[in-house]
Amino acid sequence: MSGLPHSSPGSVTSTPPAAPGGIRMDAFVYDDAIVRKFLAATVVWGCVAFLVGLVVALQLAFPAANLGIEFTSFGRLRPLHTNAAIFAFAGNAIFAAIYYSTQRLCKARMWSDKLSALHFWGWQLIILCAALTLPLGLTQGKEYAELEWPIDLLIAVVWLGFFGTNFFMTLKVRRERHMYVALWFYIATIIAVTVLHVGNSLAVPVSATKSYSVYAGVQDAFMQWWYGHNAVAFFLTTPFLGMMYYFLPKAADRPVFSYRLSIIHFWSLVFIYIWAGPHHLHYTALPAWASTLGMLFSVMLWMPSWGGMMNGLLTLRGAWHKVAQDPILKFYVVGITFYGMSTFEGPMLSIKTVNSLSHYTDWTIAHVHAGALGWNGFMTFGMIYWLAPRLFQTELYSKKLASAHFWLGTLGILLYIIPIYAAGLTQGLMWRAFDDAGQLKYPEFIETVAAVIPMYWVRLIGGSMFLAGALLMAWNVLMTWKARPAVYAEPVHDAPPLFPDYDDGVAPASELTANIKTGKKLDVWVKAFWHRVWERKPLKFSLLVLVAVLVASLFEIIPTFLIRSNVPTIASVQPYTPLELAGRDIYIAEGCYNCHSQMIRPIYAETKRYGEYSKPGEFVYDHPFQWGSRRIGPDLAREGGKQSSLWHLYHFYDPNQSSPNSIMPRYTWLITQDTPFSGIQARVRAMAMLGVPYGKMVNDGAAEKAARDQAKAIADDIRRQAGPSGLPEQYPADLENKKVVALIAYLQRLGVDISKPPPAEAGAATASTTRGH
Amino acid sequence: MSEQNQVAVGHEYDGIREYDNPTPGWWHLIFFATVLFSAFYWIIWEMDPDAPTLASTHEKQQAAVYKMQFAKLGTLKQDEATLLSLMGDSKWLAVGESMYKANCASCHAADGHGMVGPNLTDDKYGNVKAPLDIVRVIADGANSGAMPAWRNRLNGNELMLVSAYVASLRGRNLSGPGLANDHEVAPWPQAPAKPDGQTGSSNAARPAGSTGDGVSLAPSASTQPNG
Repeated sequence: MSGLPHSSPGSVTSTPPAAPGGIRMDAFVYDDAIVRKFLAATVVWGCVAFLVGLVVALQLAFPAANLGIEFTSFGRLRPLHTNAAIFAFAGNAIFAAIYYSTQRLCKARMWSDKLSALHFWGWQLIILCAALTLPLGLTQGKEYAELEWPIDLLIAVVWLGFFGTNFFMTLKVRRERHMYVALWFYIATIIAVTVLHVGNSLAVPVSATKSYSVYAGVQDAFMQWWYGHNAVAFFLTTPFLGMMYYFLPKAADRPVFSYRLSIIHFWSLVFIYIWAGPHHLHYTALPAWASTLGMLFSVMLWMPSWGGMMNGLLTLRGAWHKVAQDPILKFYVVGITFYGMSTFEGPMLSIKTVNSLSHYTDWTIAHVHAGALGWNGFMTFGMIYWLAPRLFQTELYSKKLASAHFWLGTLGILLYIIPIYAAGLTQGLMWRAFDDAGQLKYPEFIETVAAVIPMYWVRLIGGSMFLAGALLMAWNVLMTWKARPAVYAEPVHDAPPLFPDYDDGVAPASELTANIKTGKKLDVWVKAFWHRVWERKPLKFSLLVLVAVLVASLFEIIPTFLIRSNVPTIASVQPYTPLELAGRDIYIAEGCYNCHSQMIRPIYAETKRYGEYSKPGEFVYDHPFQWGSRRIGPDLAREGGKQSSLWHLYHFYDPNQSSPNSIMPRYTWLITQDTPFSGIQARVRAMAMLGVPYGKMVNDGAAEKAARDQAKAIADDIRRQAGPSGLPEQYPADLENKKVVALIAYLQRLGVDISKPPPAEAGAATASTTRGH
Repeated sequence: MSEQNQVAVGHEYDGIREYDNPTPGWWHLIFFATVLFSAFYWIIWEMDPDAPTLASTHEKQQAAVYKMQFAKLGTLKQDEATLLSLMGDSKWLAVGESMYKANCASCHAADGHGMVGPNLTDDKYGNVKAPLDIVRVIADGANSGAMPAWRNRLNGNELMLVSAYVASLRGRNLSGPGLANDHEVAPWPQAPAKPDGQTGSSNAARPAGSTGDGVSLAPSASTQPNG
């Protein structure tokens, strides 16, 4: 790496500063120790994320695999898997890539070693907090944004305060005049993730471990998927494109295919991606205009995404013979190919009619894993194999093992996604199948689950192979590390500092002769000289990215919040009673939303199965919304009154008893643990702060008393329903104190308000204490 | 693509160079096509006040199925003769069966032998003395909510069809749990003769569904389903 000749930045020559004694040279050393740390964390957390994925995949095929322990139940582990994969594995990989490449692209050491260290240890602390709190059921109940508010604050500080500051200050002290395209993508990543994380995570705390989203219902859903989709965009796409732009030409030793293409696909990606979030909410209670915008911008996103793929694959022109021999390039070719497939599939899935079939099914899961395993996984693996020998300053321990990893990983991905695509299609088609008499062909939901279980087993094989490959890599990296020198060499580099005055030269003239003025202007414009100027102004560049992200966001956010007709009110929809609220919090803590949606779409096959479709006005008190994204179990939007409370009690104790073949785990702890009645008052008050009309229920002790009364009424009902012989002995005598009763209170309330008469007078706005018996 | 005459733009970063290849024509073509498509889509679907909405599309779908299902049936009378004649009609029993499986099987089991809810296949009933009582129990619920009320979820015809199917389960005599107030019920009466080969006592071919018959089984706003 050392001794690279200093090349004049840009095609335009400029006058050196008139410093006495010629050009002053700075000597500097890159900080590779921090990259080694992030690399090790990537390998370790990657294996953990894949392992937890395997565990939850096993639980879907074989529910008893949770061993009946609450901390390992699917609803709590699945968020751990997604968070580990996104923020621990991909996160650390991004940081390794950024810390390694930014220093070299800027010809400068990271601005502050202290901030680098704070960033590394802060991020690992966040991961540790996630690994501890998610199994405990401490969650905000929004996908990929589950972590509770103190951890959210920590994320903001570490991301922007430590990482962002360090990165932007490094740009400021750089010795390379122009920023290479990889840096543009890093800038977009840091800015957009900050905006998204802060925007979506705003919450009112109830205690140190519990908070409520400030948004409710339709607005919360919109914010969540604005965040959720752009987590894909700015955490799993832009930084990985930056990674590709640095490590691929390095590994292939080929120039990047097209500078112009990188400009056009960067800006179109940054501006268009932001709009696409609502495609996660097609056919829901989200206003149709937002859903349409989400679809159209997703369609328009196809070519900007493929711009990245083309710049990757076409960079390999003239180097294909190397691909056959080099496992690193193999990883890159397959990774970029998966990127191209996913970014074609994404726009396709965002088309409403396609989405009506794919939504809530495993199709989405397959799509995500094609991207996560294929694109994020393989790009990271390629980078690790390229970095390991350079960082540990020795040969890679075994190229053969790396090749084995590549084949295990590739076959593993295929064995994962193919059965899961099949499962998604199968279940989606079964849900909508009608017989000749206009009746659902598969009226029992459980039939549609049983049909896909065999495919879950095949997926398990694919996932195991992918994990096995990652373990080979971990071994390979470990053995490479073991062969490191006693002391790492720290080559000293030199480069002149940037001098303040810089002449960009003149814009190239148009070579067109016979055209009108506008044509000539356009001809000059496409030569992108103006962009070359931006590339040496990090502050301006970053502000332009911020403007692109904000403008695109506000176009959708402002109307979502301000237009009243988006959420027509329904007079009979009232706040949850205190007990129902406590039950809802149990629903969220157990992660029920990971398997059950609460959103019936206006599609006849759906209203036939679940009842009247969901209306926006039904969710105005839902902080956070719980619409869900996958129906591993049936929709619950109209669950209230559908089953007896007694049935629910039996069903929580052993779902298989009341629904043979069910893959829902047993929730025995809900029957033994007490509802935290004393904490209900604070929860009601927090909700009241958010504008939920709780009236006198906020008074001292009112909420707790109401909750205890309602719990007593439900427990009495259950005993009556059990008949004279009473409940079996496994159910406690003080059933009213147990969590299961609070949860049943919530479930019995779901979707019933819409068929009630509106409250007679304003005073009735106080939540009724007798409801839900 | 222009493989032959690649032009390096003279940029070099840490040894990485860039070509200035033009973006391929098809890339521009497809990109502009998606933009154009989006503009037209927006104009057609979001700016035309008469464009179909999700709600109106759903209503159409629902109306079509109701028409197919109930054009012949009209609005069923909620009397014993109608129920008995439905029990004798395999086509309509199949419709009832599908509703039963979607809504009732979780408690009474797919074959009716009972789980949390009682056995429906033997001669013993808790809250039923005559066939029409089945309709009432399904509509209003029973046993302190152990049997939920369905009048807000099923329309009048659907209540009759699913009741007919439940009544037809009798006689399978599978073994299963009963109720405390179980008592033996006399066999169902015979179905009346059907002179025209049609289902017994249908009204005019008024499309059924959304309104029910407005008499005894209409969805009632004041009744909370197991509320």
